[in-house]
Amino acid sequence: MKYIFNFPDIGEGLEEGTIVEWLVKKGQKVESGDLLVTMETDKVVAEIPSPKTGIISSLFGKEGETIHVGDALVEIEIEGVAGKEAVKEVEKGSDLEAVKEEGAGVVGTLEIAGNSAVLSGSTEGIGTIEVTKETAKKKVLATPVARAMAKDMGVDINHVKGTGPAGRVTKDDVLQHAESTTQTVSTASSDTPNVENKLVEVEPLSQIRKTIAKNMIRSKHNAAHMSLFDDVEISELDRVRKQYKVKYAGEGVKLTYLAFIVKAVTHALKKHKALNSEMDTENDKMLYKKYYNIGLAVDTEKGLVVPVIRNADRLSIREIAMEIQTISDKAREGKLNMDDFKDGTFTITSYGSIGGKYAVPVINYPQAAILGIGGISKQPVVKNDQLDIGLVLPLSLTVDHRIVDGGEVSRFMNTVMGYLADPVSLIME
Amino acid sequence: MAKFMTEAKPYNLPDYAILHSDKQVACSVWQPDRTYIVLGRSNRITDDSVYIEKAREDGVEIYKRPSGGEAVVLSPGMLVISVKLPIKNTLKTHQYFLHINTLIIEALNKSGIRDVHQKGISDIAVGIKKIMGSSIYRKDKTVFYHAVLNISESVAIISRYLKHPSKEPDYRQGRDHAEFVTSLKQEGYNMVMEDLKELLEGSLKSLVSLPPK
Repeated sequence: MKYIFNFPDIGEGLEEGTIVEWLVKKGQKVESGDLLVTMETDKVVAEIPSPKTGIISSLFGKEGETIHVGDALVEIEIEGVAGKEAVKEVEKGSDLEAVKEEGAGVVGTLEIAGNSAVLSGSTEGIGTIEVTKETAKKKVLATPVARAMAKDMGVDINHVKGTGPAGRVTKDDVLQHAESTTQTVSTASSDTPNVENKLVEVEPLSQIRKTIAKNMIRSKHNAAHMSLFDDVEISELDRVRKQYKVKYAGEGVKLTYLAFIVKAVTHALKKHKALNSEMDTENDKMLYKKYYNIGLAVDTEKGLVVPVIRNADRLSIREIAMEIQTISDKAREGKLNMDDFKDGTFTITSYGSIGGKYAVPVINYPQAAILGIGGISKQPVVKNDQLDIGLVLPLSLTVDHRIVDGGEVSRFMNTVMGYLADPVSLIME
Repeated sequence: MAKFMTEAKPYNLPDYAILHSDKQVACSVWQPDRTYIVLGRSNRITDDSVYIEKAREDGVEIYKRPSGGEAVVLSPGMLVISVKLPIKNTLKTHQYFLHINTLIIEALNKSGIRDVHQKGISDIAVGIKKIMGSSIYRKDKTVFYHAVLNISESVAIISRYLKHPSKEPDYRQGRDHAEFVTSLKQEGYNMVMEDLKELLEGSLKSLVSLPPK
């Protein structure tokens, strides 16, 4: 019988951990209690013991890799157990409170430790530790999702009757409990959070949403945001783009306005170094970066991500267009890795294609500035004292006012707009 | 000046002895004799966690502990609290943190320090400022708890050697070291180091039977 041991919640309430070191190899025989792997979370390094005796048939994940609680960690072939005996073995249960799942019978029986499996530990050497105060109360068994959901909904999980294995409280139990509670307190005031699951859809926070929230607050807390808005007439840029768009399309390159904007920003950053800098308050220094890595905020199904085009100053507009295409595809397919997000020096967020003209973008801290690109529209403009139809691109620039003074903000914006209004200048300098 | 290495030294500071002692249950409260930098298990000396050049200039040695968490600075103005316990099956890691931190908070309360709470995963804070960080190493049948309590050290020493950590608890909210970390002295508590050390040892006695002095 194969037994899948999932990465257990080691008790910090964290969703992920890093594989520090494998202590076993594929094909190795292990006894129950033998150490399998060293895992690290934010505050804990733990050597995780095997819940079963058997032979390691698979290790999931490499050293240094981060995995989530509930992800498969190890597959163990349980020795000498087959057929009905295997089922009995499963039914014995384990200190992992495993959830059993019988396989189709073709390749045997598969047992999977539940996503909420807790860290097994030795029963030896139990001292006389008596948990005081808060910990003295026995904690109810519950899945992490159920626990998070109960917390969000303000439900005391200790009052929820569990219907899962070994009485474990599941997501459905919490919802059902909340619903019944709502019905009995239907006269509650409007201040009471509405927990009726028909009106409120409750989902645990995803890791990406937590990261976005943390980064946004960090930026707002540390930087002094100041914004400037302006419009630039880009008929000439539109003409140039159209001229090359078809040619590039034949080569598989999608030439967007954004490629020109990245180039214009990079040129402008070279002239206005404060916009490509970072303030190091702990050492009372300014860090002016002489490399130009432009982050592009990309809207994905899972949330906002900001992959980076490295050394954009060394790339042609065509190469920038190719890079944009590559990172956009990777973002949508969820294939971006940590390296794709590192070391950005300035960020561009382009929301115009979705809708909206101006915004007050939040700086990707500790960067000094972010440029928002609104929707392009035809508008009346004055050219040579004549009213004309112009193609107008709205720009919204937010800077960290600790770093950049107002005059420099305007000068930077003027430089960017100058390049966009006269795109030939982008290749002449 | 101490010879500088390209790799951090394995942790062998005095408090670590209890992990390798024969005793199943032990604790130590240790005042560092000089300044050290101690990396977490996964930190590398080349990581973005430590200002290496400054440590080198000042001859501060860098060690790596077996437990998790970010890099810390140890100095004579701090106390290092270490506890070794056998793993008890019914206890999860956060319960070890809570249990030991509760005893430390009780000791601080006894010495007149107010508004002390556990914050984040395992910190202790006065108000919203951190005075102690802790981490755990679960090895086989043993839990090794490790904490650094800032009694009187200036936070400037932390800003000098440590960069902003890559991960932070929610209550930090992006604050830099100077805004986030404090000492008991900075909060207006002028403690005698030896008195506090005895108080902490006394409080931890309810957890373990300390060997006679």
